[in-house]
Amino acid sequence: MRSTSGTISTTASLPDERPFLRQLATVRWALLISALLISLIGLITVHSASSELSIDYLPRQALWLGLGLLVFVVAFSLDYQSLTKFSLPIYTVAMVMLLLVLLVGKEAGGARSWLGVGAYRLQPSEFAKIATALLLARYLAGINRRFLSFGQIMAASSIVALPMVLVALESDLGGAAMFVPMLAGMLVVAGVPWRYFAVGAGVALVLAAVGWNLVMLDYQKDRVRSFMSPGSDPQGTGYQLRQSKIAVGSGQLTGRGYQQGTQSQLRFLPARHTDFIFAVLAEEWGFIGVAMVLILYGLYIGNGTKVALRARDRSGILLIVGLLSGFAFHVLYNTAMVVGLVPITGIPLPFLSYGGSFTLANFIATGLILGVDFRRHVNR
Amino acid sequence: MRQVREQKEDLLQRLPRLQLALFGFLLLIAARFWFVQVVSGDYYLELAENNRVRELRLKAARGLIYERQGRLVAENVPSYNLLLDPSRSQDLEKALTFAERSLNQPAIELREALDEGGGAGSFRPILIAEALSLSEVAAIEALSLEFPEFAIEVGHLRLYRNGPITAHTLGYLGEVNPRDLASRESPFKPGDLIGRKGVELAFDDTLRGVDGQRAVIVDSRGRFKEEYGRDPAKSGNNLNLGLDLDLQQEATRYFEGRAGAVVALDPATGEIRAMVSAPSYNPNIFSRRLDRDAWRNLIEAPEDPLQNRVIQNTYSPGSVFKIVMAAAGLSEGVIDEEETVWCGGSTRIYNRRWRCWKRGGHGHVALHRAIKESCDVYFYHLGKKLGIERIAKYSRQLGLGRPTGIDLLGEREGLVPDPDWSARRRGTPWYPGETISVAIGQGPILVTPLQIATLMAAVATNGYQARPHVAESSSVEKEQLAVEPWVFERIGAALWSVVNDQRGTGSAARVPGIEVAGKTGTVQVVAQETWIKSEDLPYEQRDHGWFASYATAGDKQLVVVVLVEHGGHGSTAAAPLAKRLYEIYFRDYLDNGQSS
Repeated sequence: MRSTSGTISTTASLPDERPFLRQLATVRWALLISALLISLIGLITVHSASSELSIDYLPRQALWLGLGLLVFVVAFSLDYQSLTKFSLPIYTVAMVMLLLVLLVGKEAGGARSWLGVGAYRLQPSEFAKIATALLLARYLAGINRRFLSFGQIMAASSIVALPMVLVALESDLGGAAMFVPMLAGMLVVAGVPWRYFAVGAGVALVLAAVGWNLVMLDYQKDRVRSFMSPGSDPQGTGYQLRQSKIAVGSGQLTGRGYQQGTQSQLRFLPARHTDFIFAVLAEEWGFIGVAMVLILYGLYIGNGTKVALRARDRSGILLIVGLLSGFAFHVLYNTAMVVGLVPITGIPLPFLSYGGSFTLANFIATGLILGVDFRRHVNR
Repeated sequence: MRQVREQKEDLLQRLPRLQLALFGFLLLIAARFWFVQVVSGDYYLELAENNRVRELRLKAARGLIYERQGRLVAENVPSYNLLLDPSRSQDLEKALTFAERSLNQPAIELREALDEGGGAGSFRPILIAEALSLSEVAAIEALSLEFPEFAIEVGHLRLYRNGPITAHTLGYLGEVNPRDLASRESPFKPGDLIGRKGVELAFDDTLRGVDGQRAVIVDSRGRFKEEYGRDPAKSGNNLNLGLDLDLQQEATRYFEGRAGAVVALDPATGEIRAMVSAPSYNPNIFSRRLDRDAWRNLIEAPEDPLQNRVIQNTYSPGSVFKIVMAAAGLSEGVIDEEETVWCGGSTRIYNRRWRCWKRGGHGHVALHRAIKESCDVYFYHLGKKLGIERIAKYSRQLGLGRPTGIDLLGEREGLVPDPDWSARRRGTPWYPGETISVAIGQGPILVTPLQIATLMAAVATNGYQARPHVAESSSVEKEQLAVEPWVFERIGAALWSVVNDQRGTGSAARVPGIEVAGKTGTVQVVAQETWIKSEDLPYEQRDHGWFASYATAGDKQLVVVVLVEHGGHGSTAAAPLAKRLYEIYFRDYLDNGQSS
C-alpha cells in the first residue's frame, strides 16, 4: 500500500482530461453493493416482521432506502476535505439541533418533525455522530505524531462528550453509547499509548459504577439485571431476551421459512421490525441466512478498511475509521444482543432495521467513505 | 506539499489490527449463532412450539347414573375452573395479585394450588381455582389480554341431586393420588377425578370417559389463532341402577336421628332396590377441592358416616339366625316338625342356665311356633343336637361367612365360627356352650345386613340365591342352594306367621293385601344376666333391632332387611320401616287390588 502513495504524484501529473468516468470506475463499489444487498434483505425481513403489526413497514422502508440513495449521492459528491475544513460549523449546527430536540422535544412527542421530512421524524443524534466524526477526523489529522499526548486524548474525548451528554439527556443511553466506539476506533488508529488504555478501563469502571447509581433509570437497570440473571423477571426484559433466543435457535440451520417464523408471526418477539429484526431473520432463514448477512457486514467493513488504507490523507483515513467503527459496533452489539450475549439496549442494525434517520445516516456514511475513495488521487 | 509529507504510516499500520479485531468479534458472534441455531436448535424449536401450541384437554364427561325409574341420581353440571400457566407469565406476582382480587377465595389457597401443581417453574397450566361464579369468570375474561397466563376451563362438576339419600350406594369422586398415578396404567393426570367409593368406584371404568385433546395455536397474548388438531373426548357410559329412589328416600327419612342399615333387593334377580346406611353424609362436598375441616369432621365422627353399614359393618344376627338353624335342623332330619320342646322361660344345658327372652316361657313349642314366637329354648336344644360343625356348614351354604359378591367394593365377609376357626384365630378350643349361644345368633357369629338379605332371598325363592348387584344387568347369576325347597317352604310358612299371626313378633310389618313374611331379631350389645328392658339402658348399650323379611305381591317379590343400631327390639324398631317400604314398592299392586 505504501507504493500507492508513491504513485500519487505520477497519477496527479496526468493530463487534466483524465476521464471522470474512469476514475469513478475505480471506486470500491463493493462497499455500496454490500450495503444495498443488506438493505434489500432488510426490506424483505421488515415486510415479514410487519405482518402482525398495524401497518406494513416495507413501503416506508423502501422510501427511506430511496432517500438513502439520494443522500448517498450527495455525500459522495461532497469533497470530504472541504467538509473537514468546515467541520467545526457543522458540528456546532449539529449540537444546536440536539439542544433543540432536547428543548422542543419535551413539549410534544412529535416535535422532531420540525426538520420537515413529511410526516417522518428525524433523529438529529444520528447526524450528530457524523458531524462529530468529521470534527474528530480534522482534529486528529492535524496531530502529526506517532502517539497522542494525554491532553490531545482529553481534547478528542471532550469533542465526543458534548453530543453524548446531550443525547443521554434525551434518555437515549444506547444512542449516547454509540459515540464511544467511534471515538475509540479513531483514537486507536491515531495512536494511543497502551498505558492509557489501562487507565481508560479503570475510568470506565468508575464511570459505570457512578452511572449505575446516579444516572441509570430503573428500567435500564432492570435490563442489565435481567441479562445477568434471566430467571428473575421484573419487567419482562428477561422475557424479551428469552423470546429472542428462542426465535434465533428455532431457526436452526436452514430456517423455518419466509413468514413462517412462529416467534415473530405470533408476536412473541418484541420490536420485531427494529431492534430485533435480526432475530426474525435468524428464525426464518436459519444459520445460513445469519451467516450470509454477517458475511455481507464483513464485506462492508473489509471494503471500508481497504478504502481507508488507500486514502489520500490522514483526515480521510480517520474519518473512515470513525464511521466504520460506529457501524461495526452497531452490527456487533445488535447481533450479540439478539443471540443473548449482551443486555438489551435500543441499538438498531444498520441497513436491516426499520428506521428513517438511521438508514439515512448509514447511507451518508457510505457516501462519505466512497467519496474519500473517489478523491484518493486528487492533489491540491 | 505539506499534505503529501504528512505522517500516515502509523495509521496504516494500526488499521489492519483494528479490522482484525472487528472480524474476530464478528466470527465470535457467528460461532454463537452456530451454537444456538445448529447445536441447540432442537431445544429452541421445542420451546418455540411450546410457546405457540397450547394443548387443551377436553375433559370427558363422566357417565350419568340413573335409578330404576329413570330418575337422574348423579349428573354433571358445568363448572368454571381457573388455570394458570406460569411459563406464559411475565410477572407471576402481579398475576396472582390480580387473581386474588378477582376471586372470592383466600389468597393462600391459590398459592397452595399453584405450588401443588408444580409451582412457578411449571410449563403446564395449573388448576388454581374451581367452581368460579359467572361474575368471577367475567372479571378474569375482561383482562385476558393483560394476563395471557390465565385460562378459564369449562369443567364438569359431579352433582348428586339426592345428596345423603344415595351417598353410600353411589359413593363419590376424589382426586387421583400419587399412588394411582404411578400404579394404574390408565393415563391419569394430576387433578383427575376418579371414583373413590360405591358405584363411582366400582364402575369407574364404565363411567369415566376418555379425555380428548385440542391443540390450538395461540399468539404471545394467548389469543386463539387456529386449531391445530383435535381428538374429541369420549363421554363415559351412563349407568342404570336397580335402585328405587322412593325407597331410598323413605328409608333415609326413617333413619333420621338413628343409626343403622336398610337393604332391599329383588330376590329373583339380586337387584338392589334400596341401600341406605345411616347416618349419611353429603357426597357433593367431595366434588370440589375438599375442605379440610369438613373432611376431618367426617373421618372423626364417632358414628362413622362414611361407612356403608349394609356391606361394611358386621353384626350378630340374633334371632334372625333361627332361620339358618331351622334349615339345618330340617335338612339334617334332626327336627320332627310335630315334636315339641318345653320352654319354661329358661333351660339347663351344659350345666348352665339359658334364658328365653320370654320370662314366662312358651310352654310346649314345635318348630313353627318356635320361629313365630322366637322361642330361644327351642333353638338352644336344636343347637345342642346339631352341633357347631353342622350349624357352620348350613350357615355357609346359605351365604353367611363369605362375600355375597355384590358389584361394590369393600364388602365384609362376616364370620361363621367353628372349632377350626377357634383354634386358628383364638388359639382356644371351641366350648360347647358357645354352640348354644350361636344357636340364637349370639356369640362370635357375625353377618352383614346384605348377607341376611341374600338369606331371605333364598327363603323367598325356595332355595335360590342371585348375586346381589346395584347396576342393572341383563344376566342374572343365580345359584340353587343345596338345601331342598320343601325346607324353605316350611320356614317360609313360619315367617309368614311371624308377621300375620296374632302373636307373631313381626306384626308391625303386616301389610294388608300382600304377603309379608319375616323374622325379628334383637341383639344384645352388652351381655345381660337378667331381663332388663333395652329402653332402660344407655344408648350405646341398647340392643340392635333386626327385621329380616320378604314380601310377595302377585309375581313380584321384595326382600327388605332393616337393622337399627341400639334401637331396641326388632319388632318395634325395625319392622315398621319394612312395612312402609313394602307399601311404597307394591303401591301399584295395592292400588289395583283395592280398585278391583
